Amino acid sequence: MPPTVRSRLAGALPSCALACALVLSGCAGHDSQSEALTVTVSRGNCGTGWRTPHSGAQTIQVSNVGTVTTEVDLIDPATGGVYAEVEALAPNTTRPMQLTLGRASYAFRCLAEDTDAVTGPTIQINDGPPPPAAAVLPITNQDLTGAVAQYHGYVATGLGTLATNVAALVQTLRGGDQAASRSAWLTAHLAYERLGAAYDTFGDFADKIDGMPDGLPGGVRDADFTGLRRIEYGLWHGQSPASLVPVGSQLATDVAGLRADFPKERTDPNDLPLRAHEIMENALQFELTGQADQGSGTGLATVGANLDGTQAVLKALTPLMSKRYVGWPQVGTWITRTRAVVATAHRPDGTWIAPSALDPQTRKRLDASVGQLVEVLAPIAAIGDVRRTS
Amino acid sequence: MSEPEETGGTARRAFLRGALGAGVAGVAATGIALHGRGTAAAAPADQPAVPFHGVHQAGITTPAPPHAVHVSFDVLAANRAELSDLFHTLTERARFLTAGGTPPDPGISAPPTDSGVLGPTVPADRLTVTVGVGASLFDDRYGLKARKPAGLTSMVTFANDHLDPAESHGDLSLQLCADNRDTVLHALRDLARHTRGAMQVRWRYEGFSSPPRPAGTPRNLMGFKDGTSNLDVNDSALMDKMVWLQDKTDQPWTAGGSYQVVRRIRMLVEFWDRVSINEQENMFGRRRDTGAPLDGNQETDVPNFAADPIGSAIPLTSHIRRANPRTPQSDASRILRRPYNYDRGVDDVGNLDMGLIFVCYQQDLLRQFETVQRRLADEPLVDYIQPVGGGYFLILPGVQDAGDYLGRGLLA
Ligand code: HEM
Repeated sequence: MPPTVRSRLAGALPSCALACALVLSGCAGHDSQSEALTVTVSRGNCGTGWRTPHSGAQTIQVSNVGTVTTEVDLIDPATGGVYAEVEALAPNTTRPMQLTLGRASYAFRCLAEDTDAVTGPTIQINDGPPPPAAAVLPITNQDLTGAVAQYHGYVATGLGTLATNVAALVQTLRGGDQAASRSAWLTAHLAYERLGAAYDTFGDFADKIDGMPDGLPGGVRDADFTGLRRIEYGLWHGQSPASLVPVGSQLATDVAGLRADFPKERTDPNDLPLRAHEIMENALQFELTGQADQGSGTGLATVGANLDGTQAVLKALTPLMSKRYVGWPQVGTWITRTRAVVATAHRPDGTWIAPSALDPQTRKRLDASVGQLVEVLAPIAAIGDVRRTS
Repeated sequence: MSEPEETGGTARRAFLRGALGAGVAGVAATGIALHGRGTAAAAPADQPAVPFHGVHQAGITTPAPPHAVHVSFDVLAANRAELSDLFHTLTERARFLTAGGTPPDPGISAPPTDSGVLGPTVPADRLTVTVGVGASLFDDRYGLKARKPAGLTSMVTFANDHLDPAESHGDLSLQLCADNRDTVLHALRDLARHTRGAMQVRWRYEGFSSPPRPAGTPRNLMGFKDGTSNLDVNDSALMDKMVWLQDKTDQPWTAGGSYQVVRRIRMLVEFWDRVSINEQENMFGRRRDTGAPLDGNQETDVPNFAADPIGSAIPLTSHIRRANPRTPQSDASRILRRPYNYDRGVDDVGNLDMGLIFVCYQQDLLRQFETVQRRLADEPLVDYIQPVGGGYFLILPGVQDAGDYLGRGLLA
């Protein structure tokens, strides 16, 4: 029996009783003729009774009259590709499936909780043009195993680099040279940002290593404001490098803790496709706005590192996405464009122009590139949302 | 309202190959949106739609619904092909949004294609989408120099202006008007989502018009009826003379278009409220309660300046007398006003920031708007108002049919 995926969303559900019944009642909105279809599903049946519908724009009302929450997909029976889905259809609920049917074969696939998939009879539509949108092959937990392992490896290696860079930072802080400390800080910070940590990826470690003062009662003076952002704050607010050594040592300890913990942490396969756009959503929200900046003005360096992290995710997902996502080539286009704008903010002496200090035209180009990039990345999360197929 | 349309032509497919053809547009690339307006079902018949197709764009001589947003964009398309993609996308989206309908379900291929702000079926709600281009679009970025009409300049700074550069000018303008505010915002979100990489908002104004209080023309935030004397939009010969560009111009491709002026004019309402009623009425030349000219009794009475040569009833410096002296010489300078009230928060000294989004349309900026504006220079009203931003735009000719697109003449 396949495991329940999306455990984050699904609660505990009763297993299928002896007879789970699912009725698919289709109200086809084709022209004025409206065809009421009632399709009963009991154990072993899904979508029987769906008589010969016509091509065109339709709304099929899918009703679950059984006792078990069920996912219902409309698929291409030849490939298993999905045309439309109604996820987690609770008993006694009805939800519409809206799509444009074309000259092709269709079948319903019902995935009741804790029960093997049941595919209904194949329906052949013989009129109209082919379906306007190709069915998308769902991605399973298993499909993502390789990608997750590859990404895990990337992060593990990156954590090693981070540890080295943090050790160098602590050493430099001890030396007391402000310029050298700032530069060592940037190296260490970018090593962290390159990992593609977004939205609580590393749990509590994320706050310890890179947490911001926002939300802490004492703000920048709060004892819990530690890590890379704290060191940034000090180095750009007149605090001596030597005074920051304790913060640096604590940071080294926390990074070591994360390194030790990470191999034990299981990455939820769902996270990988999500992260494809979340890293840059995060960059937009915190770096382009300057919210995360503790004085260094290196937000665009961070954006560059976040692009590296995004590309590591994309690289791992390429075999799964390149055929499923029609907009895949655009992703590369917009990463390249974003990188080009980011590069203009890097001064020859190694320092960076803060996003707020960019000239208005460059600023607009940056907003446009990042804005379009997150737009083209978003479908990856939708396609990569882990689905059952059996 | 929902006449059937053919599948998109070759121009559209070219757009899909472009750099912008991904993300939400990528959903279209899978073909869903290729079916007519990308609707799974037409909007219900009780939802009034303003026709999108026509010789002229809607939103100029069509009745002004109560909600509007005026937005200026900086265009960031990398080259001319992407600029063309942008105009195709704007056309496709405007065609769908103004007709209404059910947005396609992307299945598992993408997030929802619509924000859902208006529910599962988008109502037309008398939405109009009116697109214009600014003089800056004709610089050397897109090779459009030779297409620039001589009459399109960037907005002039007038004597009493206090313009913020960040809030002035722009490459492209959008005017969205509808019966409800959520419809206007839904349209703006949709259009921005589909064009992020190609253009970015430069400034945006949100306007509303008030209901008649108690009757007649709606009032502005100075308490005066605003719009009483205006060009008659039902007089098509007059519109051809005063509003629409004709084909005997230096740029025949602009025929059917019009020139748009948008200006945010702050009203110093606290100061205004401390001014006596006589002074207020003398500044405009009309009664505040009825809207009647000061030489008449009813709103609809026509002022007779000739009978009042020294301005004893209607001061010579009054707004209506300066704006429209009603002489044979001033006749050609008349404009079509389509203003909205605005209200946007509080300023640094605790005063309310509200006023007028002044919008007008004309055939010739110099002959019309600028001539009127120069006559208004230093009128007594200027102490109580302050123009702070806006721009001049050339409203593109209308989209004739399903195979046409905004800017065809510009890019052809
Ligand atoms: C906050 C600024 C303004 C306010 C409060 C304002 C208000 C008014 C009012 C109350 C009227 C009389 C009612 C009517 O006939 O519509 C009027 C008329 C008019 N205004 Fe304005 N206006 C403003 C700015 C402008 C500007 C910038 C222009 C053009 C440059 C302009 C041009 C006109 C014209 C042409 C008329 C009609 C005169 C006639 O034909 O009798 N107004 N305005």
